[in-house]
Amino acid sequence: MIPNTFEYTAPLTLKVALALIGEGGKPLAGGMSLIPMMKLRMAAPEHLVDIGRIAELNYIREAGGELHIGANATHYDVESSPLIVGKCPLLAETAGHIGDIQVRNRGTLGGSVAHADPSADYPAALQALEAKIVLTSATSQRTVAVGDFFIDTFTTSLEPGELVTEVIVPVEAGLTGTSYQKFLQPASGFAIVGVAARIRREAGKITVARIGVTGVSGNSYRALKAEAALVGKAGSDAEIDAAAALVGEGVEAGADLHASAEYRLHLAANYAERAIRVALSRTA
Amino acid sequence: MKIAGVAQLAFAPERAYELMQDPAVLSRAIPGCEALERTGDNEYRMKMKMMLASFSGAFEGKVRLVDPQPPTSFRMVVEGSGKIGFMKGDGVLTLTAKDGGTEVSYEGDAQIGGTMAAVGQRLIDTTARMMIKRFFEKLAAEV
Amino acid sequence: MLTGTATYVDDIKMPNMLYAAMVRSPHAAANIRSVDISKAAAHPGVMAVYTGVDIKDVGAIVCGVELPGMRKPHHTVIATDRVYLVGHIVAVVVAKDRYVAADAADLVEVDYDVLDAVGGPEQALAEGAPAVHPQWADNIAFKFEQKGGDTDAAFASADVICKQRMISQRMVANPMETRGCVASWHAADRALTIYTSTQIPHLARTILAGMLGLDENRLRLIAPEVGGGFGCKLNVYPEEAIVSFAAMKLGVPVKWIETRRENFLSTIQGRGHVDYWEIAAKRDGTIVGVKVKIIQDLGAYFQLLTPAIPTLSVLMMPGLYNARNIHAEIVGVFTNCVPTDAVRGAGRPEATYGIERMVDVLAAELKMDPAEIRFKNFVAADQFPFATATGLNYDSGDYANTFTKALDTIGYKKLREEQATARKQGRLVGIGISTYGEICAMGPSPAVAAGGWESATVKVEPSGKVTILTGISPHGQGEETTFAQIAGDELGVPIDDVLVLHGDTSIVQYGIGTFGSRGTAVGGTAVYLALQDIKEKVIRWGSMLLDSNDVRFEGGMCIDNASGKSVSIQTIAAAAYRAMKIPTHSEPGLVATRFWEPGNFTYPFGAHIIHSEIDPKTGQVEIKRYVMVDDIGNILNPMIVDGQLHGGASWGLGQALWEHAIYDDAGQLVTGEFMDYAMARARMMPWIESSHTCTPSPVNPLGVKGVGEAGTIGSTPAMVNSVVDALAPLGVTHVDMPLTPEKLWRIISASQPEAN
Repeated sequence: MIPNTFEYTAPLTLKVALALIGEGGKPLAGGMSLIPMMKLRMAAPEHLVDIGRIAELNYIREAGGELHIGANATHYDVESSPLIVGKCPLLAETAGHIGDIQVRNRGTLGGSVAHADPSADYPAALQALEAKIVLTSATSQRTVAVGDFFIDTFTTSLEPGELVTEVIVPVEAGLTGTSYQKFLQPASGFAIVGVAARIRREAGKITVARIGVTGVSGNSYRALKAEAALVGKAGSDAEIDAAAALVGEGVEAGADLHASAEYRLHLAANYAERAIRVALSRTA
Repeated sequence: MKIAGVAQLAFAPERAYELMQDPAVLSRAIPGCEALERTGDNEYRMKMKMMLASFSGAFEGKVRLVDPQPPTSFRMVVEGSGKIGFMKGDGVLTLTAKDGGTEVSYEGDAQIGGTMAAVGQRLIDTTARMMIKRFFEKLAAEV
Repeated sequence: MLTGTATYVDDIKMPNMLYAAMVRSPHAAANIRSVDISKAAAHPGVMAVYTGVDIKDVGAIVCGVELPGMRKPHHTVIATDRVYLVGHIVAVVVAKDRYVAADAADLVEVDYDVLDAVGGPEQALAEGAPAVHPQWADNIAFKFEQKGGDTDAAFASADVICKQRMISQRMVANPMETRGCVASWHAADRALTIYTSTQIPHLARTILAGMLGLDENRLRLIAPEVGGGFGCKLNVYPEEAIVSFAAMKLGVPVKWIETRRENFLSTIQGRGHVDYWEIAAKRDGTIVGVKVKIIQDLGAYFQLLTPAIPTLSVLMMPGLYNARNIHAEIVGVFTNCVPTDAVRGAGRPEATYGIERMVDVLAAELKMDPAEIRFKNFVAADQFPFATATGLNYDSGDYANTFTKALDTIGYKKLREEQATARKQGRLVGIGISTYGEICAMGPSPAVAAGGWESATVKVEPSGKVTILTGISPHGQGEETTFAQIAGDELGVPIDDVLVLHGDTSIVQYGIGTFGSRGTAVGGTAVYLALQDIKEKVIRWGSMLLDSNDVRFEGGMCIDNASGKSVSIQTIAAAAYRAMKIPTHSEPGLVATRFWEPGNFTYPFGAHIIHSEIDPKTGQVEIKRYVMVDDIGNILNPMIVDGQLHGGASWGLGQALWEHAIYDDAGQLVTGEFMDYAMARARMMPWIESSHTCTPSPVNPLGVKGVGEAGTIGSTPAMVNSVVDALAPLGVTHVDMPLTPEKLWRIISASQPEAN
């Protein structure tokens, strides 16, 4: 639990941070995953660039029908921000499921997203929200759709020198209901299965269905077949069950001490059913 | 831990088999492989650096290719150890012609120890799958 | 502790202090070909690196238990030629700070010839298993047998015999504060001071002095604030000797603080049983005999009490029942795992779990209500003191009364009716009962490994303030408060005037320590007795000062019964030290010391009832209600008692539902961090409805029994019985712990394919 020697810089501006990251510095956000790994010597970055003091990454604002959330927003910020609670409740609800209060007070949205833990909570919501991730380097900036950002277990489309600086989520219009349902691993608090549902029902018919899933396999994903099965339906119990049953189809589920692949897939369907049901109940 | 799966390659079993016996190819395809040095018949010393998000670990070990049955099957035994733990993999790869290419099915056992074993349990399965996937992707890119 | 001002071992800093880091084996079994310390020794900031050869004069780890025919491994503090478990120390690095020490530890190169390992007790006994210790090919450390009554005849006469294999899985003790020590050598006095996080300061001093070859009186051992022990600090570990050795060699203080990762690898663990139970009964439910064969996973070597723990299970195996014929066999088995030893409850939880499960298994077989079968077999209130078939003498109790209170609290009859209705709807609702007993207040000296008495000194200072020196070593049990209460009550002084000191062998007279729910029952009794001596002295001094032969002591005042004139204890104390005049047959000062030897253990008991429901879709267990009624004799501080019971219940529920130290076949602990080891969290705990009955213990004048382990022992079987009861309509009679959702889901979906 004693880390290797490392250099530590805590720049106050994004410009300096990006320059250091460009030189190979490893960004440190809330440190909720990185620090434990360093203490176990499973990770040994030579240079930590602590981005926690960069005020310009600390914002939550609405613009152009979207919410722009700076990478330094803590999970607690996301969970409790009136703007997010009011205009993108799915993200706030999901943040409230992360770890424990200590983790939520320190861990950040940007850090979690960049880490791409296959059992993290956010990816389910971000997939369902069709979020966009802003990646900034010393020389460029690009915005990537969440589906293109999460590539595999701990693997994202971040290039060397790039930093996640912002997450963009849509402002929910009326008629849309959302829900995040999670089956948690009792030791770590990570999701064994987490399902986020975002459903729009107009005149008694589902017009938009987005279902994001985390924990089941090596990467978060959108359950496209389940989504398609819902569109055009009223949302009866049978229709929900039928759609939820499709949520793990074609997915190569992972397995660990806490849940076999078979159980994960079973839970995915069960938690999809719960998420869809609750989301529909919130469409009114 | 049991590991099993199937991968598709776009070339014939003979070619696939040949590639998988070629240390130069293996060193490019094994994720994180930094050096693969022949130490005997079908035996190589390997240096590996695993990089996965914030995790990193250097391993030294050996790769052995045994029970060669060209072009249908062989056994691959990989052993490595480093500061964060050690790993051992032992599996049989079977090659069959399919749709003008090759279907490689693999089946074996993987064992890990040390810090990795104790703190990485929930990640071992998905990480192993990803590394195997990368291996075959790299292999596919060889032609 | 809450204000962050307490001093734990890691808070201790001394001038020129160095830090030690242990180099540990990543392999569970290996021969050591070589240990190359050259790079580590050359690392800047490193003061010394020691291997097993350097430290060979330090004595081996001490086990305080002898069983007939037992094989005792010689476990040196640092391995020399072979490692026996992951975490086995192969070298120690001492450096100027802990970062340098950790870096240099990484530079020690050990060449291992890795061997096949044994990852569990049944694997150890399997045909062709590797030998944990090469000299003992069968991996058996000892076999132990105990019989009471005539079990063969009882089983032959029985109408029904139920058998069940059950596992009490390995648990990690997990104190919030890990272990750690600071050793400081005073060459001029040939004296060593050790600060260490321990439950047994004096015993640890005796043992360490022996290992280090020091005079016992020149070793001062201090247990500062200790952040929890749960039994795992009832031990002397290699690191305490290694750090002392380094401090003596280098002549400067050396500190070592165990990391959480090290704690999982090198601090004793608990349970680790595979048990084969048999219960024989008459058709009417009368239990006539009980048999158990215990396969105990001992780990790779013996810590202080390792082999004794399963023998405690045997003592407890009849539970609260009139089972006169018992037969127990223990097979103690070596594995390449961390040693097992006393962890909260130590042997009694395994036995209580077994007998309470078996009574339910029997009830199911006979189609009897599990409450009814318990009433039928309880030792009756008029049978006390009750000699058990295992050789104990239960002190006092009224089991039926306590159980009735629990049943009434939860509304048992109505709950069963509701359950019947729920079952018709296909819901999986369970009611689980545990009527547990306990062996506490360890204990009579002949029956414990190192003496079972306890000591106390009470000093009334010249100002009238009261200082208590106790031989126990509280580390969260709150005896600083409880003993102050006893003194306050006896002497009529404000609690704030009483200071309780413990845990420093240079201040406190020899004592045994805190474990086995003995703090108040044994240590508190010593305090109480010393207070009686003080009161006698006070009366003598008061008589003199009041010039009367007829005084009483009441509310802190000596009162002349004739005139009503009085003098306070504070005035008396001042006079006793000033000693202008001394009562006849008396002496100056107001100090008393007592050592108390208990005549028996105490036997708390209680009834825990858990109402649960399982979600058939996920296998997740929800605790709807948890009622516990505990009888621990007289209660001195209700808040502390309930805290102990609730904390204990969190352990017991943790074992039933979540926790498991899982070793793979190579002897690797795969739940070796809190990411995978699911210790109970506050958010997982149900609301607990806790109440008491009171049957004072006749064993000690306080009438107390002990409460440190009761919650742990009572809760586990109630939880498992509740879940098995919920699954009973599916034909389930037993499920092994922990009751993880996937395990239950598989059972449910196997019997209800449509639910899947």
